[in-house]
Amino acid sequence: MERDTIVRVSHLVKDFRPGFGLRRKRVLHGIDLEVRRGEIFGFVGPNGAGKTTTLKILMGLIRATEGEARILGHDVRETAFREHIGFAPESPYFYDFLTGAETLEFYARLCAVPRARRKQRVREVLAQVGLAAAADARLRTYSKGMLQRIGIAQAIVHDPSVVFLDEPMSGLDPVGRKEIRDLVAQLNADGKTIFMNTHILSDVETICDRVAIIVEGRIAYQGELEGALPVGERRFDATFSALSPEFADEAEARFGAELSGRGERITLRVIEKHVSELLQCALAHGARIEEVVPVRLGLEALFLEAVAGKIQGDAR
Amino acid sequence: MRWFGAAVAIAANTWRDAIRSKVLYVLLFFALLLIATSATLATLSYVERERILQDVSLAAIRFFGAAIAIFVGVGLVHREVDRRTIFTILSKPVDRSAFIAGKYLGLVATLWALLAVMSLCFVLASLAAGAPLGMAHAIALGLIAVELAVVVAFATLFSSFSTPFLAGCFSLGIYLLGHLTRNLHAIGKTSISPVVREFTLIVKRSLPDLEAFNRTIEAVHGLPISGAEVGWSVAMGLAWTFGFLLAAVMAFERRDFR
Repeated sequence: MERDTIVRVSHLVKDFRPGFGLRRKRVLHGIDLEVRRGEIFGFVGPNGAGKTTTLKILMGLIRATEGEARILGHDVRETAFREHIGFAPESPYFYDFLTGAETLEFYARLCAVPRARRKQRVREVLAQVGLAAAADARLRTYSKGMLQRIGIAQAIVHDPSVVFLDEPMSGLDPVGRKEIRDLVAQLNADGKTIFMNTHILSDVETICDRVAIIVEGRIAYQGELEGALPVGERRFDATFSALSPEFADEAEARFGAELSGRGERITLRVIEKHVSELLQCALAHGARIEEVVPVRLGLEALFLEAVAGKIQGDAR
Repeated sequence: MRWFGAAVAIAANTWRDAIRSKVLYVLLFFALLLIATSATLATLSYVERERILQDVSLAAIRFFGAAIAIFVGVGLVHREVDRRTIFTILSKPVDRSAFIAGKYLGLVATLWALLAVMSLCFVLASLAAGAPLGMAHAIALGLIAVELAVVVAFATLFSSFSTPFLAGCFSLGIYLLGHLTRNLHAIGKTSISPVVREFTLIVKRSLPDLEAFNRTIEAVHGLPISGAEVGWSVAMGLAWTFGFLLAAVMAFERRDFR
């Protein structure tokens, strides 16, 4: 395993038995993943695609049927290395009779945080997630956002180097989402590698360095957001003023351009190979070039194309 | 060391969780009520008042102790899975065997604390009635503690792979059969059918003999209890407990938590 690879998943397969019969349902079809040191990795996909199953295999909660999953070079079926990783499940459940501080102390004990350091560490983490004032309140009095934060707090109480988050923004209002997003960014700035399962694409787009899109148990795309499509298929928006209607019609017919805009400024969207020809023709027709910008493929577009099966493979 | 640390942390948490159970207090209340009532019942008799008091009290302690062990024990592991608190625990450096051991120890500690409360009431009731108390009573109560440890072990086993209802049925079945194995075997031995003889022998050998922990008669009637018998009962209890917990760990290790 390369030194900078924190998580490596190779040909991971998982079959479940829906009932008592012998029939098996395959939910992961040999997926491969790689998460690098120091990045925020977004693992996205529609509901039922296999995100949580993958994460549970990584956390040792589910055994893989085939394939291999390693974190920090260790087989995920091992236990001792887990002191270097943290996990916050989706909509976390805790012992609601404990206070926030008692909860963190319990998890710190499980992670063998030394007794002398435990109380101080609990205080630090509570402050870090913004729950210092609620440290002595029982969890049954916590709001959804506070529980989400205590979920992240228990994941980092032992100061792990890799943090796995399952739908950390799920069910939160915009303010709560921003708070969690900022917290994740802060953890990453502190040097932690983050693996984040989510279906909130705008959050992924805002903070993730790389993404993997999983559809029906298969990785449809993995890599940076840029470069998701082949270079020849990249599109550009060319904006003109003083564009004659005749030329606009010609551009539509000749280059397959999509027209938009009103009044003086008209934008023509064309694929990369037509850009220079379009600009030459436009200048010959007396149009003025205002700007030419590449169209950035948003995650939503990438996601929808992946779900529709238009993107296949790995762009690592 | 890490294994023990995790098991102790889980045991302490299980204790805190268990002592909040309302069922536990309801059953404890009835146990104490029965011990208190036994003093009144004894006054209705002209003879052996003290023996009636101690007989009923020790029976109440054994019955309600086992009832609490089964009621709370069958949900011991299942509740953690159902509430999904297990996700955050097993994703930490915690072996599944440490989790089972911690849950078991936490509940056994709770039951022994309740047993201590019931024993104290038993002693107070006996003193108030002028009933004799001696080493035999201490041994009888000590063996109840061992029996409870065995009952929690098989309740934990069933809880590690099935629902509370099924685990309750299995545990109750084992508890009742465990108290009947001696009688079944004695009846089987008198049978003319070799199949019946063999069957009752298999039942006796494949289930814990819970009557080995019942020293009520000796305690109440002041009969001697040999050290060897007590030692054998304790050794058998420890062996069955270990066996049940080992099976629980093996079942739990294979589980997927979806």
